[in-house]
Amino acid sequence: MRIGIGILAFYVAVAILSCFWTPYDPLQPGVGDSYSPPSWAFPLGTDRLGADMLSRMMTGARYDLGIAVVAVFIALVVGTTLGTVAGYYGGVVDTIAMRLVEMFEAFPGLLFAMLVVKAVGPGVLNVIVVLSFAGIPTYLRLARGEIRSRRSWQYAEAARMVGNRSWRVAFAHLLPNSAGPLLAYTSINAAFAALVTASLGFLGLGLDPNTPEWGNMIARGQDGVMTGEWWISFFPGLAILGMTGAFYLLGDAISDVTDPRRRR
Amino acid sequence: MIVEGRPILQARNLRKLFPVGRGMLFAVDGVDLDIMAGQTLALVGESGSGKSTVGRCLVRLIEPTSGEVFLDGRSILGLNSVLLARQYRRVQMVFQDPNASLNPRMTVRQTLIEPLRLHLKMNRRTREARARELVEMVGLTTAHLDRYPNELSGGQRQRVGIARAVAVEPDVVILDEPTSSLDVSVRGQILDLLMDLQAKLNLAYLFISHDLQVVRHVSHRVAVMYLGGIVEIGPTAKVFSEPKHPYTRALLSAAPVAKWGVKRTRLRLSGEISSPIDLPDTCRLVGRCPFQQPVCSEARPKLVDIDQDHAVACPIVLAKTEGPPPFVGLLATPSVTAGAHPATLTQ
Amino acid sequence: MNVATAPIVAAAPLNAAPLLEIENYSGSFRARNGDLTPVLYNVSLQLKTGVITAVVGETGSGKTLVASSILGIQPATFVRTSGRILLGGVDLVSLDEKGLRKIRGGQISMVFQDARAALNPMFTVGRQLADVHQRLHGSGKAEAMEAAVDAIRRVHIPEPARRARQYPHEFSGGMAQRAMIAMAALICEPQLLILDEPTTGLDVTIQSEIMDLILELSRSRGLTTCLITHDLGVVAATCEEVVVMNAGRVVETGSAETIFTAAKDGYTRKLLAASQLGEMAA
Repeated sequence: MRIGIGILAFYVAVAILSCFWTPYDPLQPGVGDSYSPPSWAFPLGTDRLGADMLSRMMTGARYDLGIAVVAVFIALVVGTTLGTVAGYYGGVVDTIAMRLVEMFEAFPGLLFAMLVVKAVGPGVLNVIVVLSFAGIPTYLRLARGEIRSRRSWQYAEAARMVGNRSWRVAFAHLLPNSAGPLLAYTSINAAFAALVTASLGFLGLGLDPNTPEWGNMIARGQDGVMTGEWWISFFPGLAILGMTGAFYLLGDAISDVTDPRRRR
Repeated sequence: MIVEGRPILQARNLRKLFPVGRGMLFAVDGVDLDIMAGQTLALVGESGSGKSTVGRCLVRLIEPTSGEVFLDGRSILGLNSVLLARQYRRVQMVFQDPNASLNPRMTVRQTLIEPLRLHLKMNRRTREARARELVEMVGLTTAHLDRYPNELSGGQRQRVGIARAVAVEPDVVILDEPTSSLDVSVRGQILDLLMDLQAKLNLAYLFISHDLQVVRHVSHRVAVMYLGGIVEIGPTAKVFSEPKHPYTRALLSAAPVAKWGVKRTRLRLSGEISSPIDLPDTCRLVGRCPFQQPVCSEARPKLVDIDQDHAVACPIVLAKTEGPPPFVGLLATPSVTAGAHPATLTQ
Repeated sequence: MNVATAPIVAAAPLNAAPLLEIENYSGSFRARNGDLTPVLYNVSLQLKTGVITAVVGETGSGKTLVASSILGIQPATFVRTSGRILLGGVDLVSLDEKGLRKIRGGQISMVFQDARAALNPMFTVGRQLADVHQRLHGSGKAEAMEAAVDAIRRVHIPEPARRARQYPHEFSGGMAQRAMIAMAALICEPQLLILDEPTTGLDVTIQSEIMDLILELSRSRGLTTCLITHDLGVVAATCEEVVVMNAGRVVETGSAETIFTAAKDGYTRKLLAASQLGEMAA
């Protein structure tokens, strides 16, 4: 838990710092020689165009972290709301929702994201929309299952008997008690979103190729791996690994904390 | 049937059928009930009798398939959800498992204030005062207001459940097995509390239970259910001292009594309760009843008065009551004790 | 000893020698951090040969813990701090797993509250009874199945041959409990039968029939029986000796008649009054 939060806090801090200060302008080529190895002037070296890798890495945190967090947030809110409605009211709404979910889940997430981004074109907004859309089915299914299993619990009946309207029973009484698995999944989802963002970048599909996004940066550096300029791909890769790892750690911790059997 | 008092909550020909794989599950099949102001009507039966379904249909936690439910003479089945929620000012419910019926994320205060906020126009300070009054009324202290359900014992949780039900001063409370998940020593305290509140607030209770001893202790009238229908209904003292329906008698004679040297004549029914799916239009006890006659399979017996406030759904009992002497003969019939085992348990 | 054909005899004399003796048995639960919470305090009780003894108590009294300690199936977090459990001079506490396995089934058998959970859903009821018979008595397959069907018949399950071929989910709760009693009392042929809340959760009409069956089997076979229960009503109808437990202690021991008519301990009296719901005067 602490480790996960610590690593993420570091990423957030770097992302915020990059808004105000980076050692060099990340988009400015030729601040150093091309392919300078890590040195005191350029701690993480420079890329082919001679742009500072550290500055680009810091700015990349903004993109990768930002996209993941925003996409996950949208998916969580939309998916959970739809899932709660489907789970509580059941019937036709539920049937339709579940068939759609099954259709979407039959597609691998990355493939889906690639196809859509290819069609609608690159851009931060498009990537966010695609990623949040890819996340919705799982939240919907999770929320629906949780709500359904609790709908006939006595405290749901009790909440109705107290005079609550059904939407309040569903959203104010049942949903908070179902939050554990949903929150635990957000971290896994965030890790997935970060990976897909980077993958899209690597494939040259996600953002503008010049954007200092880690996936883009790995793609740019891949030739260097063979010829000895390892640092260009290595550090962005490490950053992605660290971020997804931190999200997974956090997810594990959340499922521990929110399970009432593991609390006193 | 003449029953003293003013009816608050009434059911007429209440039915609830659940579709299952091959047919229909008859959970409740033609139940008539009158819950009188300030009185306790007990609904007794074993598992599968449909007693809990009746309770839930009366407050529309489950929608009945057909029939009518009247609150103060006005039907509540046609009401939309907003108007129905308003009726919960008058009708409340206490659930079997206080562990499951309290929201684990709400403190006692939040649990008690919710109905006040939804039904009564109270300001913050009055609500707080009312919450304090409520916890003390059910034998807890104001220190309990900030506790979560998992910080309370089973008995304390049930007290909170009761406080929540009486918070808005309803006229009638459905008690669904309120003591069956509690230890015996706690059971008595909760029953005392319920009777105390009834006297104080003039509450009417529908007391749903399988525990005959408890029912005898708390109720004014008792209705015995078997496979979705009421087979006998009458004043508690009468039903317990002179049970008429074979099922009532079997049930009463099987109930254990925590006293030394009680010798009872056992009436045994053969086999076990039959499946409630696609029930035939006969007496539901056919095949198990030692007094069975061809007439029992002709139609489903209706409740018929044998006394001014005592009704039984059994053609055999009714036939015997017509000629004098009324009941002595029945009780003395040797077939009463028929069965595979020795009829009496002697110590 | 052929007790199967013996007539139903009256209860064994209450001064009979004890078959099993628990002496000053104490124990605690060990929390994850190693802290010990005492749960049993110097529990001493005797189960007399051929007698039905009730161990009565509410939630947290430790009654089930005592019963499971006899069979060595107490939870892993339970730590015995003192005491002995003597069966015919052998201290069961000192036995290793192998020794306990010899005792379980053959000398002591147990019936649990939820019979349907105690039966394996993958095998027919007859098969499960026959397996135990084969293991304990070294009988052949056909012979074991015959014994299983016979046991099912003797617990008054109708159509025993057909029932033996059915799976546990086809049995009602009461029927499954009968099958478990058939296994524990008739197939195992134990010296001591322990019943842990055997009728809790069953309807009263079924409960009374199960208790009649238990009474019939233990009387006809002279079986020493220990009934763990919270229900004094069941105790009054079936048991000869009563041990009352509260909060990990034995608070009172005596004949059922004494307990019900002249209880000395305050808790026992309270429990009786609560069970009778103010009918004491009647």
